[in-house]
Amino acid sequence: MPLEVAIEKQVSGFRLAVEFTADGAPLGLLGPSGSGKTMTLRAIAGLETPDRGRIELHGRVLFDSAHGINVPARERRIGLLFQNYALFPHLTVAQNISFGLRRLPAPERARRVEQQLAAAHLEDFASRYPASLSGGEQQRVALARALAVEPAALLLDEPFSALDTHLRSALERQLRQTLETYQGSTLFVSHNLEEAYRVCEKLVVLSNGSVAALGPKEEIFRHPPTLEVARVTGCKNFSRARRLSDGRVEALEWGCTLRVTQESAKPPVHVAIRAHHVRVHLAQKLNLQNSENVFPCWLAAMTETPFRVTLDLRIGSPPASPADFHLQAEVFKTEWESFRDLPQPWAIELATDRLFLLQD
Amino acid sequence: MNWQAITLSLKLAGSVAGILLVAGLPIAYWVTFSRWRWKFLIEAVVALPLVLPPTVLGYYILVGLGPRTFPGKLWQSWFGQTLPFTFGGLLIASVLYSLPFAVQPFSAGFETVDRTLIEASWTLGASRLGTFFRVILPLSAAGAITGTVLSFAHTIGEFGVVLMVGGNIPGATRTVSIDIYDQVQAANYEAANRTALVLLLFSFLVLSVIYGTNRRAMSLWRKP
Repeated sequence: MPLEVAIEKQVSGFRLAVEFTADGAPLGLLGPSGSGKTMTLRAIAGLETPDRGRIELHGRVLFDSAHGINVPARERRIGLLFQNYALFPHLTVAQNISFGLRRLPAPERARRVEQQLAAAHLEDFASRYPASLSGGEQQRVALARALAVEPAALLLDEPFSALDTHLRSALERQLRQTLETYQGSTLFVSHNLEEAYRVCEKLVVLSNGSVAALGPKEEIFRHPPTLEVARVTGCKNFSRARRLSDGRVEALEWGCTLRVTQESAKPPVHVAIRAHHVRVHLAQKLNLQNSENVFPCWLAAMTETPFRVTLDLRIGSPPASPADFHLQAEVFKTEWESFRDLPQPWAIELATDRLFLLQD
Repeated sequence: MNWQAITLSLKLAGSVAGILLVAGLPIAYWVTFSRWRWKFLIEAVVALPLVLPPTVLGYYILVGLGPRTFPGKLWQSWFGQTLPFTFGGLLIASVLYSLPFAVQPFSAGFETVDRTLIEASWTLGASRLGTFFRVILPLSAAGAITGTVLSFAHTIGEFGVVLMVGGNIPGATRTVSIDIYDQVQAANYEAANRTALVLLLFSFLVLSVIYGTNRRAMSLWRKP
């Protein structure tokens, strides 16, 4: 494996203990803030020293507490893209990019700078200072600077968090193209799950300093193993659950009995469904014989976004207040308009193959 | 006009500023970035000249550098003369006396450098020394210039320490401030007036030129 990480570190009140490997494909480090993503990244880059463990990159041991090995950051050949980009304000764009190329002969250095400027479409900015660049341009310079030294691994710490929304998608596309040609390992830290999903093939979900899930992204999103991972991957609807006979669980908080297709070796603790998988129908659906997992529901509150609405729904009885709801459903506006004026209750459907069971 | 005294003062202040630039930067670097728990003791020692009366400092330097002490003997065996009442002794005393005026602005300058820039430099393969000269020093140039100017100006104006350690020997230890004192003592107010005015104008000129240049250098890359 190109990158193998197994480290532990105790810092006042927080314990980091993570273990994962990354192959050539970009690996996403996903988790809420304070889960240890940035500290993991810094430990790999050599800016933070773990208490125990081992870090190996392409067969080179960078850190091994058992053998007293701790390669200093400057010799690790790891490119780190800082959250605030950390461009040198007293150097021009070209000087920033060539900063790490001191040891190369001048013609080679010039060639590499040219190459990076061209790849990042920054030719016109070569002699400008960072303060005169926009956030997106600064990010491209920082990436070009990190790539110019041809690092063995590239670590990206929330590279889009400081940017306006309209810039993000364009820069993200550019980053994905760059990563396709990049030969080393890539680690991408994010708390934005959609962004991590688009950029990465595999994901590591961190929670409270440890690995909560690790695997191909589709797998993690389809079957999050625990409540925490489900939350991190954007799931909004949970209920404590009790297993009844085979294939049925009682959702204690939602007050209903559900049929589920997912097998669970251990008794499930929670049942969950993603908001965009919750279906809302007209009440007639309630009367159909073959409708499984369909219940009467009432609207407690509604939130509008440009193209979708989020409905806060209560199963079984009308809500006492706008905060009194069981599940959130996300539906397109056109769909919403088709039933918004019809009398309640409506029918809520929690499809058997969309429900998943979680451990604590 | 006592040109001899003026030349001597300039020579002394220039040497002190030069020595403190070379010696003060590593001290300030250590004070800023060290995580040693007893660091504050060193910081207190460096700051001592700020609060001690010059006579007290001068007294200790006089005693500490005397011909019977170890540094005094060492100096004598190398240069064949004693330290007190010579330019060499005056220089050492002035360096110690102006130490905080160099170290504190240097250190304040280093503090302003964003930590992530230093880390970025490391991840790009630069050594600690390389990072210092290519990132930290250029970004804290204002502090380095301020510290050097202050130690220069402070040395020009020092009086008590010079009198204690250097005495009043023309060409060796009689600096401008001593000369003015002498002239006032001798009721030679016209000469005192002239020398004092020259000193005042010179100090103002030096400070203005350096602060002016400093600001322009900063704005080159700070302004968009």
